[in-house]
Amino acid sequence: MTAFDTIRDWFHSRGWEPFAFQEEVWRAYLNGESGLIHAATGTGKTYAAWLGPLLEWMQGDGEVNPPLRVLWITPLRALVADTENSLRNALLGLDIPWRLEQRTGDTKAAVRARQKKRMPTALVTTPESLALLLAREDAKEMFGDLRLVICDEWHELMGSKRGVQTELILARLRIWNPNMRTWGLSATLGNLEVAMATLLGSGWEKGRMVRGVVPKEVRVDSLIPEHMDNFPWAGHLGINMLPQVVQAIEEGATTLVFTNTRSQTEIWYQAILAARPDWADKMALHHASLERKTRDFVEDALRAGTMRCVVCTSSLDLGVDFTPVDRVIQIGSPKGVARLLQRAGRSGHRPGVVSRITCAPTHAWELVEVAAARDAYLAGAIESRYPVERPLDLLAQWVVTVAVSGGFVGAEMLDEVRRTYAFRELSDAEWNWVLEFVTHGGEALRAYPEYARVSMDDGRFVISNRMVARRHLLSTGTIVSDSAMDVRYTTGGRLGSVEEGFIARLRPGDRFAFSGKVLQFVRIRDMTAWVKKAPVAEGGIIPSWEGGRMPLSNELAAALRKRFEEARNGRFEGPEMQALKPVFETQASISRVPSTHEFLIERVETKEGHHLFFYPFAGRLVHEGLAALIALRVSRVKPISFSISCNDYGFELLAPHAAPLEEALARDLLSTEGLGRDIMESLNAAEMARRQFREIARVAGLTFNGYPGQNKSVRQLQASSGLLFDVFMRYDSGNLLLDQANREVLERQLERSRLGQTLERLSSGTVVIQDMKRPSPLCFPLMVDRTRNRVSSEKLGDRIRRMAAQVEKARH
Amino acid sequence: MSLEVNVAGEQLVLLPERAIYWPRKQTLLVADTHWGKAATLRAAAIPIPGGTTSADMERLSGIVQSTGAKRMVLLGDAIHAREGRAPRTLRAVGEWREAHRALDILLIRGNHDRRSGDPPASLGIECANAPVAEPPFVFQHFPGKAEGGYALAGHMHPAIRLTGRGKEKKTLVCYWFTDCCGVLPAFGALTGVALVTREPGDRVYVVAGEEVIAV
Repeated sequence: MTAFDTIRDWFHSRGWEPFAFQEEVWRAYLNGESGLIHAATGTGKTYAAWLGPLLEWMQGDGEVNPPLRVLWITPLRALVADTENSLRNALLGLDIPWRLEQRTGDTKAAVRARQKKRMPTALVTTPESLALLLAREDAKEMFGDLRLVICDEWHELMGSKRGVQTELILARLRIWNPNMRTWGLSATLGNLEVAMATLLGSGWEKGRMVRGVVPKEVRVDSLIPEHMDNFPWAGHLGINMLPQVVQAIEEGATTLVFTNTRSQTEIWYQAILAARPDWADKMALHHASLERKTRDFVEDALRAGTMRCVVCTSSLDLGVDFTPVDRVIQIGSPKGVARLLQRAGRSGHRPGVVSRITCAPTHAWELVEVAAARDAYLAGAIESRYPVERPLDLLAQWVVTVAVSGGFVGAEMLDEVRRTYAFRELSDAEWNWVLEFVTHGGEALRAYPEYARVSMDDGRFVISNRMVARRHLLSTGTIVSDSAMDVRYTTGGRLGSVEEGFIARLRPGDRFAFSGKVLQFVRIRDMTAWVKKAPVAEGGIIPSWEGGRMPLSNELAAALRKRFEEARNGRFEGPEMQALKPVFETQASISRVPSTHEFLIERVETKEGHHLFFYPFAGRLVHEGLAALIALRVSRVKPISFSISCNDYGFELLAPHAAPLEEALARDLLSTEGLGRDIMESLNAAEMARRQFREIARVAGLTFNGYPGQNKSVRQLQASSGLLFDVFMRYDSGNLLLDQANREVLERQLERSRLGQTLERLSSGTVVIQDMKRPSPLCFPLMVDRTRNRVSSEKLGDRIRRMAAQVEKARH
Repeated sequence: MSLEVNVAGEQLVLLPERAIYWPRKQTLLVADTHWGKAATLRAAAIPIPGGTTSADMERLSGIVQSTGAKRMVLLGDAIHAREGRAPRTLRAVGEWREAHRALDILLIRGNHDRRSGDPPASLGIECANAPVAEPPFVFQHFPGKAEGGYALAGHMHPAIRLTGRGKEKKTLVCYWFTDCCGVLPAFGALTGVALVTREPGDRVYVVAGEEVIAV
């Protein structure tokens, strides 16, 4: 019996039949090929990738417990346990004597010690943990017989710096093992070719693109508020939809309730529990900040089908297969078609069952977004993911890692790095700058002998200082943009971790919801937030933990504009638009509903000041850049200070006095002339690059967040990234990390080309200035948004005197 | 533009360079210079460009000259850390000292000084533990009430967040005078800040570019 027959038999014994695409991948793997598999979740991608090396073993030596052969990289720790289970099932079913283990930040010391002596045959890990393994001096031997690296959920990784970290790791592993194969598993994307290029690096054209099972039908519907007239025009909690959500949960057997932020998760959990206390032991919450044990418990219960409902964030978006789930509720707009489908795909795993996702709006306008998302889905408009290009901060981090592991020769390393997609166009100048940066700290530091991170030893770049090496390894694990702090009870017991930025806003005694409990913040000490259980019924909970705010995708923004055009023409199709009819009518009576060739600018004065609202409908990322640009251009007409807020529909410029809008329009407000220069200037004016520098400084090892037990000696090393940014601007303006901060803002936040296109679209249309007596439904979400950028052309002293005078007036 | 204020019956000049001049005693008051902070970071392999300490020394020269001060009181945290005593940093401070040989300097030791040690004797800086009384003032490093006088202190690196109409917001380094203690901004440019909690009756003056403004 051939190995293929054995596998088919095993499939049959479980009542399955191998898919043609799975057999295609197995053969391609045996043939030495690499590639990318794209398909919906829960359709057999895992075994398509995993059984290739098993077949190879069955056809070959049959060695017991062979050395490390397969690496399985997954973006989320939360996925590791589940992945290990499904991989193990195949090993057991096929009776293959391989050791299979995990390696993450949670791995216990005993297991680490065992792995140090001998690695298992297959290892499930995350990019950060793998990077640390590559920093070991014996790394090359450890990975000496590596045959296959599988990158799971590649669509999640490829658009981030962690994706670039993975690219660098893969390039190094391929140098060590020229015959190593790489397979990526991805959801369907608009730009699969790029996904494959990032995964395979140079020579990616030879890779094989395998299309898995076609996504099954998805039904997208909404919970419609009962009374539209008192449904809010803004907000992000949506708790007023609680009765309908509870009813929807009752209709299903097991329901997943997805939210967009972790704070939403906590608040919804509390609310549902308050409405249905009888569900207390049948419901749970799940997000990435929770303690591992809690997450495991929830995942097991979901698989067993004993849960009535789980409230979760994107931590349950990926891979994990929960067959019993039969209903998915999305709180708030899904913001993108791919995300909508991914979440919908969590339900209806049983054959013949349609996946259904029900959206509960948190404010009125989200109903249009749901309608637009459905339109985009039906039109097959799936988003693309764009990879990060040439992040020099990450490259600096990586070459230090390689220096720790035993060093490198400059020319060889450059060749290796250029094999990745991210650094394929790395210039000699940039490479030399990075080397200079890690050895001398850059041109500006040449004269400072006390500085030494990486040094030259016999033609190799190595690290000699053990403290430096140790600190570097400790910060390698934190590519995520905000550093995490442990949350612990003062009486002992860890609850999970939360972003430092959130904790920094709390004062002792403040209450917040976390891990399904209402807690009282006590103090910060040793990189830990100490808390105690909050006394019952005493004041409100702070719901200000916003987490990541997702922007609307291009595809959805286009669909949204179309729905607005329809509404303007009096067409309200579908339940969402029907429900929104009165809101559109209010908008038309206070202001107007813009058509696709109108650029609507609303103007109103309130006690807060003079507001201008602009509506390009181009998505929040473009609006951030556009708002800074428009603010700069208006502020050139006369000295003025703006505070800026943005959402997916438009942006607000708020000033203490009336802005010279008409004059600015007559000058160059929407001109594409001098755009590049003006964008650069506005990005500095709004301090956007300065903020972007925060992440860059951390990745490049400029700031160091300390670690438990080391804090006292580390405290003297603290300097904020903002301070560093200013110092670099002044004393080392040629520093390429500054350049990178600009580039990142331009490419990722501003999307320069989209910004230019949007400006062209706006200037070719009709500008309509609408003065209003009171705020319209459309401007309302912008007005109440508290996250703000600022641009000012006033002299600082004048501005401060004006603010001080206001304070005086308020006091009397 | 500096600002004259009356504190504990004495006329003090608040300078935008982040230091106070006390005309009657021809004395310059400076807090938290943190010399060698950049060198400390560099020694820990954090690549901070050079020039920060020199720029601070130039600023200090500027106010010694413009005020014509005969004496300077340093309210603690002169040198950032032991690792900050790099030859280059000490040379920059030494050269500055050469240029102002006639200036009497008194350092009130702060928490950083305890670990980094007193400045080299060659600098001719007299060192003392807090508190040092000089009526009506008491010099100390840590802010707080003092026995027998109005305290002048550093340590905290005070700043205040101003808000205004149109959701304006700006954080600025400041001088902060309570009923019993005045806190100076940190002189060193490469230093962080801590926000003050303002009580009724407190006087706060912000450094806004080249001006000092009462808020």
